Amino acid sequence: MSYHFGRGKSKWIPYLMLLPGLLFYFLIALGPSMATAVYSFTDATGIKGAPIRWIGLDNYREFLFMGRASVDNLAALQRTLIFCAAVTLIQFTMGLIVALLVNQKLRGTNIFRTLYFMPVILGVVIQGLMWSLFLYPLGGPAAKLLSLLGMRSEFLGGQPAEAFAWVIFIQIWANMGTTMMIFIAGLQTIPSEMYEAARIDGANSWQVFRNVTWPLLTPSVNTNLLLNIIGSLQAWQLFLVLVGYRNGTQVLGYLIYATGFGQTSGSVSSSFRQGYAAAASIILFLLVLVIGMSVQYILQRREARILG
Amino acid sequence: MTSQTKGFRKINWSKVGSYAILILLAVLYVGPLFMLVNTSLKTMPSFMKDATSLTTSLNFENFSEAWTKANFPKYLLNSVLYTVAATTIYIITAVFVAFPIARKYIKFSGAVLTLFVIALFLPPALIPQFQLILNLGLYNNPIGYIMLFIVNPIGIVILVNYIKTVPKELDEAAALDGCGYFRFVWSIVLPLIRPAIATVVVMHSIGIWNEIIAPTIYLTNKDYYPITRGLIVFQGVYGSNWPTLAAAVLLLTLPMLVLFLVLQRYIVSGLTAGAVKG
Repeated sequence: MSYHFGRGKSKWIPYLMLLPGLLFYFLIALGPSMATAVYSFTDATGIKGAPIRWIGLDNYREFLFMGRASVDNLAALQRTLIFCAAVTLIQFTMGLIVALLVNQKLRGTNIFRTLYFMPVILGVVIQGLMWSLFLYPLGGPAAKLLSLLGMRSEFLGGQPAEAFAWVIFIQIWANMGTTMMIFIAGLQTIPSEMYEAARIDGANSWQVFRNVTWPLLTPSVNTNLLLNIIGSLQAWQLFLVLVGYRNGTQVLGYLIYATGFGQTSGSVSSSFRQGYAAAASIILFLLVLVIGMSVQYILQRREARILG
Repeated sequence: MTSQTKGFRKINWSKVGSYAILILLAVLYVGPLFMLVNTSLKTMPSFMKDATSLTTSLNFENFSEAWTKANFPKYLLNSVLYTVAATTIYIITAVFVAFPIARKYIKFSGAVLTLFVIALFLPPALIPQFQLILNLGLYNNPIGYIMLFIVNPIGIVILVNYIKTVPKELDEAAALDGCGYFRFVWSIVLPLIRPAIATVVVMHSIGIWNEIIAPTIYLTNKDYYPITRGLIVFQGVYGSNWPTLAAAVLLLTLPMLVLFLVLQRYIVSGLTAGAVKG
């Protein structure tokens, strides 16, 4: 499109005014993001002025194959995949069901919608502390409920596998509202004539869902699946707030943070292994890339088949 | 029609079932919040005796204790400062990035937009970002901390899409009237794209406000802590004193809930922007 605001030198004003935003973006986001790959081949530490040496693939070799640590790393990798599968599957299904329920012409659906969406704004710290209290092992609500059934548990402080399961539960609790909202927005784009036509043809509720709602919901199905998969592969903040860096519960994201910045939050330790952490970042990135692209490929083929 | 002809006494089971599921789920969302309120009003001995019993006292001392001991005023002020400063810088620079892209007033505008979208698919910037801040001498420095949050590529995409709905004839008319580029964007475009600005501002500020990783990495001086970091540290010290800790958490939760009810529209539109189109 032609530019209207002056000629000659003043034609450069849009470029000039765009520059700060673009520079910040290169300096703080794009540049560092790409530099992660470079750092992954070095032995960089978090100490200012310390020399940085090029060590080739050593970080990757150590991460994947060397000793006890690599066994833990691979376990964390596996745990990341389990976390992703569990969160995606449950959050996606629940988000869809709840969206269908609150999208009906029922009284009070707005209240439910708002309620389920609430944790999204509270953030991980409040989410985490709220659930720490609810899961208080010495007579908290969850403990009371278990004791009625004659059981007891340490919840987040107990067996690693159990603590891990609780984090999955709270992750879903916290983010289901987002999935629901995206589904609701998708549901509202489906014209009501489509439903009426199906009803006139004598379709029952399941058939309406199967043949009208589900195919027409394809765009939000795709968005939600991708967002859930990518989001849960990278999520680890709730682990930090709920259980800390504990053996048997770490996922890749937390491992990267812990190796890069010292294991205990806040205390400055000398074990800042940032080159190594960068290599772990790249491994996580490749995982996200491969899974994300394959899912995207499958979803697009499906979309082409359904929507033509 | 059908529901009326079938008789009004017939129970609508699908309705009952829907409500049953919705209410059951609602308990999971209200429960932790209710527990928080209940605990915050208890005394420590009564919490130790029975954590779940309904409080018989209204022990507001927990709140005043949390307010002073958790250093709330200081941390809240820090959080407000970081959020306002970073969001202001971000939104002003973002509008001047988004406008010429949407209008194709710069060469390669499509490629520039792609540059912003690409960031969503690249590796995390965590480590090099730290090295950058460290070597700039801005580690453990509020300015360095604010710098981390003056970028947000999704916001640019939302703004570009919205600016495209502003009629292009407006540019021409304003230019004919002798209006300059800066003044046009600032005093004519900006008011017109207010809904999109609101969405982006709300999204961006909530992200900064709730951030916990960055303050843990970048800020070691207690005087610089935002409220999230402050709460975690407070938990470390008062971890077993749940009544006071619950009061502290609630002090932060309540304003967030009020804000949420006011701003929900913008948050939702931010989340679903472009999502439905695919």
